[in-house]
Amino acid sequence: MTSKQTQNGKIQFDVIVVGAGLAGSAAAAVTAQGGLSVALIERGQAPGAKNSFGGALYTHSLEEIYPDFWDRKPPLERPVTEAGFWFLSKDGLVNMTVRGGALGRQPADAYVALRAKFDLWWAEQAAQSGAFIIPKTTVTDFIRDSSGKIVGVDTDRAQGRIYAPVVIVCEGVNNLLTLKAGLSKSDLKPKAVALGVKQLIALPADTINARFGLPDNSHGLAVTVAGDVSMGLTGMGFVYTGNDCVSIGLGVTLEELAKAKIRPYALLQRYLNHPAIAPLVAGGRLMEYGAHLIPEGGWNDMPKLYTDGVMVAGDAATMVNALHWEGTNMAIIAGKEAAETAIKAHRRQDFSGKSLSEYRERLSKRFILKDLRQYRNLSRFLENHPTFMDVYPNFLNDALGMFFTGYGKTKKDLYGDIVRSLTRRRPLIKVVGDMLAFGKAVMGI
Amino acid sequence: MSTKSDEVVGTQGKEDLPEVYVDDLLMSIKYFTDENEVHLQLIDPETCVACDKPCVSFCPVGAYQVQEDGHVTIAFQSCIECGSCRVMCPHNNIEWKYPRGGFGVSYKFG
Repeated sequence: MTSKQTQNGKIQFDVIVVGAGLAGSAAAAVTAQGGLSVALIERGQAPGAKNSFGGALYTHSLEEIYPDFWDRKPPLERPVTEAGFWFLSKDGLVNMTVRGGALGRQPADAYVALRAKFDLWWAEQAAQSGAFIIPKTTVTDFIRDSSGKIVGVDTDRAQGRIYAPVVIVCEGVNNLLTLKAGLSKSDLKPKAVALGVKQLIALPADTINARFGLPDNSHGLAVTVAGDVSMGLTGMGFVYTGNDCVSIGLGVTLEELAKAKIRPYALLQRYLNHPAIAPLVAGGRLMEYGAHLIPEGGWNDMPKLYTDGVMVAGDAATMVNALHWEGTNMAIIAGKEAAETAIKAHRRQDFSGKSLSEYRERLSKRFILKDLRQYRNLSRFLENHPTFMDVYPNFLNDALGMFFTGYGKTKKDLYGDIVRSLTRRRPLIKVVGDMLAFGKAVMGI
Repeated sequence: MSTKSDEVVGTQGKEDLPEVYVDDLLMSIKYFTDENEVHLQLIDPETCVACDKPCVSFCPVGAYQVQEDGHVTIAFQSCIECGSCRVMCPHNNIEWKYPRGGFGVSYKFG
């Protein structure tokens, strides 16, 4: 199912999808499965070439697009069989992770992945469903008819105008087309984006198993690292184990990073030098360094999701939940819901904003808009409470350190010391306020 | 409740930031460099002279460099298209577009 050439030689599809990332290839696959012709336009050498994340993918979203997902032999790394938090002090680490139980399920709920490999495969699945992939092509603008209605996209290729009554924009965090479509009132705000930097470090699988306490290659770790990672900036680190590599990096609010005049790769190296982190990656070879922006504005900065002839999904629509590391699954499912809406719009032969508003209705019934709305104040909360990046991770290290060295001390003194290690950092009344405020931010009240 | 104003943020331990040669990191990244088109340019080079140039520190590949005369140059070949400068430049002084299709960063692993 490729393009239909109209009489005057125009390249015409039923649907155009911009960007062959997680959202785009899901949208293209579902559109093609619905019997429509779809062009999937990607600016990279191949799908995945521009994409990077921590990170892990979530099984529920992958299986929702392809019920036979596992039979397709996806190029995933290790399943996440241990997940949780590490809290770093200057020279210590409190480990709060879970393994076994729900994390022991097969297939696992999350899998570590490398995006250049996975996204290429993900796009190939869309091609097998009938999507027509156009790589090495950058979309530069929309094409509008005489009434101003969007009827296709212009690209940087000669004779590169491609027409369709519906365009699904999955362009990623740099929302150039979303702005051009008039869906965003303003550009990304520097306080609402995080800059993520990471090193992918090669290590033999056996070494990874030994250092991370994993029984074998079919076990993997995903942790969020808080505390002495971000030098007090709003941000967190991560560690993910791949088959023969460890992905280790951090994300910090771009505006704070810029104000502090800290070089992100130096901050990353400082984290890699931490006495609790360095032994984990010692002797490893740098496979790849990368950086990417993460749109953390969520609900408050979300563009309008549709207009006449256009829908937007994934990072371009700020579909990220920073606390739960969700984003890839929202992108995939939003891509699918946009595609379902496009199919219905073709049946109705109505591509107006009113017709495409079905997309938003679909998202509002699912975790995507429900969660983003509930967490709408969380980014601002963390920004305004740097104590969560500093005071509490340090306190946890001090408290547990004292508890497990308090031998021969009266326990009354021990507990007094523990409480004082908190109150000398932050008055108790403020601690109570922090916890209540955190609860409110998470509960969305 | 605390706010930014009553806390010192982002300065603790700054003295222990390690020296990192960003070129050592860039060696691990694959690029298809477009020899015919520059995708990043300063709109008004003079604006940068008076600016305190945060781009020089926040750019994750160190593409922004200060010349002796205070002007800024961009090593666009190192750009990984993250968009930080597009969003963060205090004067919106960067003409930022994507490289032509197929060019630019090409992650091997991502």
